[in-house]
Amino acid sequence: MNRKTRFRLISALVCWGFVSSLAWAARAASPLPPFYTHWVNYTAANGFPAGEVYCVAVDGQRIWAGTEHGLVLIEHGRVKQIFTRADGLAGYAVMSIAIDRQTGSVWVAALGGLSRYSAGKFTRYTVFSSGLANDLVYSVAVQGKYVWAATAGGVSRLNTWTHAWRIFSVMSQPSAPFKEPWAYALALGARKIYMGLWGGGVVVYNQRRQTWRPYLSPSNSAEILLYRNQGLISNIVSSIVHRPRSKSFWVGTYFGLSGYDGRLWHNYLRQDSGLASNFVNSVALQGRRVWAATQRGLTEFDPATHVWITYRPANWRALDTATPPPLGRGEILITAPHRPPRRIATATSLAHNYVLGLAFQGRDIWVATAAGLSHGFASPTGDQHALR
Amino acid sequence: MSAGRPRPDSRPVRRRRGATRWIVLALALSAAGLSLANRPAPRGSAYWRRFYSSRRYFDPVALQLSPHGRWLYVAGEGRNEVLQIDTRTRRVTGALAVGRRPKGLALSPGGRWLYVANTWSNSVSVIDTRTWRVARTLHVGWGPEGLATDRTGRYLYTANTLGNDISVVRLATGREVSRLPAGHFPAFTARLRGGWIAVTDLLAQLGAPEQPPVDQLSLVDTATRQVARRIMVPGAIQMRQIAQVSLPHADCLLIPFLQPHNLVPLLVLRRDWYAANGLAVVELHRHAPPRVREVMLDGVNRAYANGYGAVVAPHTPWALVTASGVDRVSILNIRRLLRLLRSPAQADLARNLADASHFIVRRLPTGRDPTGVVASPDGHYAYIANRADDTISVIDLHGLRSDGLIRLGRMRAPTEVRRGQQLFFDADYAQGRELACATCHPDEGFEDGLLWSFEVPHLGQDIVINKTLRAIRGTGPFKWNGLNPNLATQDGPRTATYIFRSQGFSPRQVRDLVAFVRSLRLPPNPYRAPDGRLTPAQARGRAIFFRSRTNTGAIIPEDDRCYRCHAPLTHYTSRVLMNVGTATRFDNTRAFKVPSLEGIYMRPPYLHNGEARTLEEIWTKFNPHNRHGFTSDMNKQQLNDLVQFLKTL
Repeated sequence: MNRKTRFRLISALVCWGFVSSLAWAARAASPLPPFYTHWVNYTAANGFPAGEVYCVAVDGQRIWAGTEHGLVLIEHGRVKQIFTRADGLAGYAVMSIAIDRQTGSVWVAALGGLSRYSAGKFTRYTVFSSGLANDLVYSVAVQGKYVWAATAGGVSRLNTWTHAWRIFSVMSQPSAPFKEPWAYALALGARKIYMGLWGGGVVVYNQRRQTWRPYLSPSNSAEILLYRNQGLISNIVSSIVHRPRSKSFWVGTYFGLSGYDGRLWHNYLRQDSGLASNFVNSVALQGRRVWAATQRGLTEFDPATHVWITYRPANWRALDTATPPPLGRGEILITAPHRPPRRIATATSLAHNYVLGLAFQGRDIWVATAAGLSHGFASPTGDQHALR
Repeated sequence: MSAGRPRPDSRPVRRRRGATRWIVLALALSAAGLSLANRPAPRGSAYWRRFYSSRRYFDPVALQLSPHGRWLYVAGEGRNEVLQIDTRTRRVTGALAVGRRPKGLALSPGGRWLYVANTWSNSVSVIDTRTWRVARTLHVGWGPEGLATDRTGRYLYTANTLGNDISVVRLATGREVSRLPAGHFPAFTARLRGGWIAVTDLLAQLGAPEQPPVDQLSLVDTATRQVARRIMVPGAIQMRQIAQVSLPHADCLLIPFLQPHNLVPLLVLRRDWYAANGLAVVELHRHAPPRVREVMLDGVNRAYANGYGAVVAPHTPWALVTASGVDRVSILNIRRLLRLLRSPAQADLARNLADASHFIVRRLPTGRDPTGVVASPDGHYAYIANRADDTISVIDLHGLRSDGLIRLGRMRAPTEVRRGQQLFFDADYAQGRELACATCHPDEGFEDGLLWSFEVPHLGQDIVINKTLRAIRGTGPFKWNGLNPNLATQDGPRTATYIFRSQGFSPRQVRDLVAFVRSLRLPPNPYRAPDGRLTPAQARGRAIFFRSRTNTGAIIPEDDRCYRCHAPLTHYTSRVLMNVGTATRFDNTRAFKVPSLEGIYMRPPYLHNGEARTLEEIWTKFNPHNRHGFTSDMNKQQLNDLVQFLKTL
């Protein structure tokens, strides 16, 4: 190695060390993630269907929202189209949306069947017309050529190349640890399928070995927590999310939030954490952070720092009444270890405190609520310090 | 005895002279043979030896020209081979064996690689055109037919007729990376200039039975490798080869199609057309929705049945469309066609048979059953593959005249099956030459997927779905009402009276046609493993098919068991009429002939009136009283298993 090359190598190492130390310092100085301080809501007032929004999915610049009145496509900040049964959708109430990145197809789980949307055309899959286990489809996920659907009659898998269906349920898999047929949630790993059952906990299917493993609550179906961190917090599972390239997954239940790190369970309740509510409708991951859509707001949790951040309307208690007031300001509630909780007011707010789903679009977040779809914009880092 | 009279030779002398003559003749023949044998063998000599020794015909269906027009490549589905023809000498210079039933050809952008879609092997053979060897074989979806690469040559797209999808193959690795949903029986593809791959469907969308058919054109964006647009062509089926015209403001596609009049009772149609032949003109605007116009290619008094190939000749105003039913190629003046389309007075082009005279400048004869067509890069010649006589027609586009035939084999007396094949594709026997057998049974005896109102002069009565002719041998009687005891009746007087409305075929022609129809086979079933083993689900389905007891253990009455009517030993049909409760108030009969189940996976919709769009619907929607087999005790898993088994038949 000549002198010039050595000099270049050392210079590169010094630069890399300097940049790394800056990044580390920035992280250490700012344990808080960026806040979502500005919200734009899509409600009946601006052409969005009235009522509940069950789910949302991001497909590049296109946003798909599942509502109780059909599937809504948003492009460039505007409602472009609302698809209903008349357009070929299998049902009105859209519970879950999955994007097939390979083919560009949008798979839609609805109370009425499963639909595939591809370049303007819907294809319906129902119990009557296909091998789908049940028409009440709560969740859908795409894994290469396979499409998985969680239904009230078990989990169905469609091979889109051979058009062959397979059902995973108590009936079809007597040896599998299905306590209940009613599947509510799905999450896909590289080799494993995580199935969330209503009252049946989590069942994990290893596709390569074709083996099953159940994860159940030690307190079984009791609605009280008997054993802390000894297992799943409740068997009534509403949502699962798997951390890629790991054994860990998070489970949203109607009685708290559970995380499994591949060895141990970590359970969280409203009473002893910053979780907005024990009634968790959906969970999602953003890097290391976990998001929980609950009936009392949207909660973000960082397992490394144990900082909890909840977003909700400031007048959220009044929104649950029969005659809700107009939406006002929002609030951000921050709970961190060894610090008193902090409350920050924002000029805009989520459309409702009852949150059902969420998805990320770069730094932005889209949130499905009981009264519309909310688009959250992350504040720049400077604002974050100002908020502190 | 006079001296001038020649004395007759003695018998031994005559014998010697005769023997000498024979020896000289034998020596001469041997010398001729040796001289021929010592000539340098052309590259295709092995091909010719095999060609002459084989009883199979070549059946050319697809053509490709090398970028400079020197080499013409021909796919022959009958012999599972691809030929190379030197367009200067018009001789076959090479032949290569590929997979089964090659029906599609595509060249890489530089012309180095020739891709051959092997429809019955579910594969693509990649031929190195420099060495004329099969370099590798790619595995794709079911029944690939049309294929095209993107502009960079990095990805290959195949239209899979049986899978109803489009395979995307990454050529660097040879791996299929995705299958895009297409329409119904996608068969033809073209690479468009705007970075799209266009795919046309042979069959109409599965829709409401009483609605006119709608055919689909899919556009794949090669940047995202996803279907970006689906363009519907109303009232049309059997869209085939795609020709492209570049306009200043848009790209324009010309696609031949068939316009069936299937929902009008045929007896009412006696003075009208069963099917008309036209051209879909699809304008693809860059910043506006596509526009679809339809014009007729038929004349007022004569139809040009079964449009197949289409090409735009470079540097000329001509587009060529072959009509495989009448052995003609129509030459269109594109400028006149576009002027007609822009004319505000032409409101109903899709029905006006007089319009063709405005833009068609010549109808030239071709060989028998012209299919694919290509034009040379200089626009001088066009080449047309004639499937039923193993020739290539050459068209001189400067003089707009035929410029001879390239024979792919020595002409010899056609066999009975070959004569039947020629009749099958020939519309000369129908009134007005408007349709051939292949019109309603495209893709060599398949079905058009349409409901037809046969014979009853009442609207909406006795409408039945068309049935396939493949693997029909041994499944008679025919028709849904079982009134035709054999194929000779079906193809003879009945066809002549009700469909062709002519004298029909002679008795010998009927024999030929029947021989051809009986020779039609089903493609290999992709649901069946090569070793014949059933998957666990298929095995469970088989047990359900042959079961005699319900889930509760009760005995199922014999007539309600699957195998009873769909008997395996007779092609899964008992060949009798059965009332399974599917007749509606629109039917004048209650019992229908039990259809064969062989190849059932590939031919939805189901039941006599096409009500069931999927196999599942036969039992979930149209068997409420267990008359179509005892099925009400089955759970969803069992029904899925049964369907999986049926698809293997």
